[in-house]
Amino acid sequence: MTAVAQPAAPAPQDAPRRTRLRPGGRRRPLNPGRLLAWAVLLLFLLVTIAPFLWMLRTALSNNRSLFTEPNSPLPVDFTWGPLQRVFGTASTEEAQAEGGSGASLHFWVYLRNSLIVSTLITVGQVFFSACAAYAFARLSWPGRDKVFFVFLTALMVPPVFTMLPNFVLIKELGLLNTYPGIVAPFFFMTPFAVFFLRQFFLGINRELEEAAMIDGAGYYRIFFRIILPASSAPLATLGILTFINAWNEYFWPNLVGQKDGVRVLTVALSAFRTATPNTGPDWAGLMAAALVAAVPTMLVFLAFGRKIINSIQFTGVK
Amino acid sequence: MATITGGAAAATPVPRPAAHPPSNRRRRETRAALVFLAPAALGFLVFFAWPTLRGLYLSLTDYDLLTAPEFSGLDNYRTLIHDDVFWNSLWVTLEYVVINIGVQTVVALALAVLMHRLTQSTVIRGVLLLPYLISNVVVALVWYWMADFNLGLINQGMDWIGLDRIGFFGDENWAIPTIALVNVWRHMGYTALLIFAGLQAINRDVYEAAAVDGANERRIFFGITLPLLRPVLALVLIITVIGSWQIFDTVAVTTKGGPVDATRTVQVYIYDQAFTRFNFGYASAISVALFLILAFVAFAQLRLMRAGESDQS
Amino acid sequence: MASTSGTPGTTGPAALPRASVRLRRRLLGGVTALSALALTACGGGAFGTGDGRTTITYWLWDANQQPAYQQCAEDFENSQSEYRIDVQQHGWEDYWTQLALGFVSDSAPDVFTNHLSKYPEYVTRDLLMPLDDLVERDHLPLDIYEEGLTELWTGEDGARYGLPKDWDAVGLFYNEDMLREAGLDPAQLQNLTWNPEDGGTYEDVIARLTVDENGVRGDEPGFDKHHVRTYGLWMQGAGGDGFGQAQWSMYAVSNGFQYTDTNPWGTHFNFDQPAFQETMTWWQHLIEEGYSPAFAVQDGQQSADQMAAGNAAMAMDGSWMTGTFTGIEGIRVGIAPTPIGPSGERASMSNSLADSIFAGTDHPEGAWEWVKYLASPACQRVVGEYHVVFPAITEAWHVAQQKFAEEGIDVSPFTDQVEQGTTFRFPITEHAGEISALLIPAFEAVMSGAPVDSLDEVNEEINGLFEED
Repeated sequence: MTAVAQPAAPAPQDAPRRTRLRPGGRRRPLNPGRLLAWAVLLLFLLVTIAPFLWMLRTALSNNRSLFTEPNSPLPVDFTWGPLQRVFGTASTEEAQAEGGSGASLHFWVYLRNSLIVSTLITVGQVFFSACAAYAFARLSWPGRDKVFFVFLTALMVPPVFTMLPNFVLIKELGLLNTYPGIVAPFFFMTPFAVFFLRQFFLGINRELEEAAMIDGAGYYRIFFRIILPASSAPLATLGILTFINAWNEYFWPNLVGQKDGVRVLTVALSAFRTATPNTGPDWAGLMAAALVAAVPTMLVFLAFGRKIINSIQFTGVK
Repeated sequence: MATITGGAAAATPVPRPAAHPPSNRRRRETRAALVFLAPAALGFLVFFAWPTLRGLYLSLTDYDLLTAPEFSGLDNYRTLIHDDVFWNSLWVTLEYVVINIGVQTVVALALAVLMHRLTQSTVIRGVLLLPYLISNVVVALVWYWMADFNLGLINQGMDWIGLDRIGFFGDENWAIPTIALVNVWRHMGYTALLIFAGLQAINRDVYEAAAVDGANERRIFFGITLPLLRPVLALVLIITVIGSWQIFDTVAVTTKGGPVDATRTVQVYIYDQAFTRFNFGYASAISVALFLILAFVAFAQLRLMRAGESDQS
Repeated sequence: MASTSGTPGTTGPAALPRASVRLRRRLLGGVTALSALALTACGGGAFGTGDGRTTITYWLWDANQQPAYQQCAEDFENSQSEYRIDVQQHGWEDYWTQLALGFVSDSAPDVFTNHLSKYPEYVTRDLLMPLDDLVERDHLPLDIYEEGLTELWTGEDGARYGLPKDWDAVGLFYNEDMLREAGLDPAQLQNLTWNPEDGGTYEDVIARLTVDENGVRGDEPGFDKHHVRTYGLWMQGAGGDGFGQAQWSMYAVSNGFQYTDTNPWGTHFNFDQPAFQETMTWWQHLIEEGYSPAFAVQDGQQSADQMAAGNAAMAMDGSWMTGTFTGIEGIRVGIAPTPIGPSGERASMSNSLADSIFAGTDHPEGAWEWVKYLASPACQRVVGEYHVVFPAITEAWHVAQQKFAEEGIDVSPFTDQVEQGTTFRFPITEHAGEISALLIPAFEAVMSGAPVDSLDEVNEEINGLFEED
């Protein structure tokens, strides 16, 4: 934990310089050892990429014909059918003719739900956790450390343990199958977020804060004008990670958000999986659905790739 | 406020209290703290503290989620002790954690070192991170398909090189290793990045000195890199192990606990009991047991990490 | 709060005092946003229905029947203007767990296809709506259904919990070309005998039809049981979640086995009896000999797919799969009845499904209208036209039989069982959820090679469930 206040933020910037300085660096001749190392790395890259390609290939195949050419790297009996099944633009008969079930994903509805849920969780969790972290890091008040310790104990409680009673609570509140029900347990804070941000807030220079105080700024203004801007990197990191996790969450929304109107993509996808035709799984349809569900995260990644990578490394060093 | 502007004006930043009546400021600061803390405290009380107490209570009841819970004392725990499926689920989960964490850590470490020594390419790091961005559910589906006995790519490949086909998800002995490796695939890039960051933070002078001394790659790795990396590795382990114990998603979309009970991990068993067998009280008792185990694991790890920190100094 | 907002004359621009107001607004904003969403979410549950109709959700598990019921739904929607039907399908292996989750999480369908083995438990948990008053109010004729079907859905408490939709039987599907290649005549298959000791003529046929990778048949010397190309008899699942309906029930019962002490409402299971365990031993022996696939090989695979791929010469399956088997391209598939067992008779489980209404439905009247339509001659005739299953209304299943005949498919191996009285019923008991949770892994274990007497313990556990009552 000691390393926290010296964040890795500078690391990416001076990375290129380091490359040049490191013994050997890029110009080292390709000896057999290095060649082997490259081969291993490329193998890993291949293992990482291959499933995506196979997913794409299957998603464009006719499910009924898949077994005729199981090895072919190209789509078997090319068709848009699986994607049409996913988007619900194929009729039940058409779907079944290609070895699908009649089930369809109301894709746009689920996409909307995933977006709403993930955004609400991210915004709420990061903001409220930042508020709490500020209170723990920069304000002094009686009992602060004791309260913080109590908060920390929540880190030890495994999610599955609280999920069961939380389910009962959400049920009693009548919030089953509503957005608030899906969002609520993650909306106000997670112990990790509070802990993570507190560490950064502790490291912010006091001088700025004091100067603002002298200028007559209150705690609220300091929080919004000094603390938050000074912590934009950790806030972005936390935001990105929270969003990815919220987007990928399955256990909780599967319990409280089964109904179509609020169903998120992960839950919809597993329901699509259960809608198997009697003639064996609709692999092509499933892969099309998986592909379609992966596209939004892929787009986010294309847009913010570097930022995401840096974010994750950021949490690593701290 | 007025005191600030008027009073100690231009002073260079002095330690905070001096400028005005302490009690007044203290009160305002406490009040502000309460406001800032309120939402998180609400979340903590409602969604962490209260459910923890309630979970303990529910574990002492007979409850089906449809009618009111009935207090049944320690009945659930008595059943639990004699429940072979529960003990089996613990064993299965442990097997999963060992394979998953073991392989994942080694692979990620190897990847991180390879990247560190070979390239700074963001593209490569990005590609390795891709699986982490896809949800467990999608990842499970893709591998379920690729590992299919008859049509899956992997078995086709094994056929081609003359190996016997394997029922990766259908064979009792293979199911857990398969699921563990699927999740290694999803997390290896992510974990590698965490370790990679740790590598970057190591002062390069150390390497230069070693190079001057003529140390070879192997000695550098075991003599320098690994020891300096210990704190980062400890942190990575803490993050991954606790999560690994709660394996659910992958099983839920693929084997659902089977074949036999080969993949009925603790959380899968809890889910079964609570939501498909109407034994919510009993499920709560199992989750109390899981809670205790995880608390123990976390505690052990924290000690381990502290050991790692002292190593660094 | 007041102290900050009441700070005039600071150096900052006028925006400063607003900081706290903004914070307050944001905090409130969060809460308001949540509650606002709660409202929209409640109202927005049904989407895509701009016509003011109420949506009734309907679940079934058999994808092959979905087109037929989709047609019924369309006809129903055209016959009135109040309700719209949303037909959803979940595969059998997820159906009951999804339904149970639906019951506890308020997301169960209004109407769903129900199963004889499952409904008693739902009755004890008050999850099903009794239909007696409605039947009486609307003067529904109950004598149009095949004999005995309506009674099955009368619970132990005497109330009616479903209206019958279909019935079924099991039979042996075989690849006719493979049969001829093996020098066998389809007529031989109509009168096979079976016993647990040597499998009778039934096992002879299975062995004959099994071929290894070198082309050696299962009953020939030099047969390599570890490298089988075509299995004589494919198996699908271990039967733990359906009382072996299409797996082992026909053998066990023809060997004198009875599931429970009485049926319906039995309270004691008999999986520990020799008549049953002998059968399971023989079943394991098929796998050991290489005549049937090992459990790891067949898990998750469908018999019909395997027959299509040439991996299986025969498969035992239900009448509801007739269309799937006979529809396989490039292969002629025939149907034979179950073999005659030591009891001197054949046996086939005959099940009957019904549509039930979830007691917690928000639209009881609409749900009832839909159930009533599903049970009407109009819908069941449509189901008969699609000829996937045999509808419960006598006149309608004759339509299905006729349709099969027009395609040259003789379904008498199924209908004969009913007409000759060689069918038996699903065990109707309490505790269905617990029982299948216990039986599924137990039978998977036996199929994977665990000793057959391991079923004694499971049987005891199941019987323990009834003693607790």
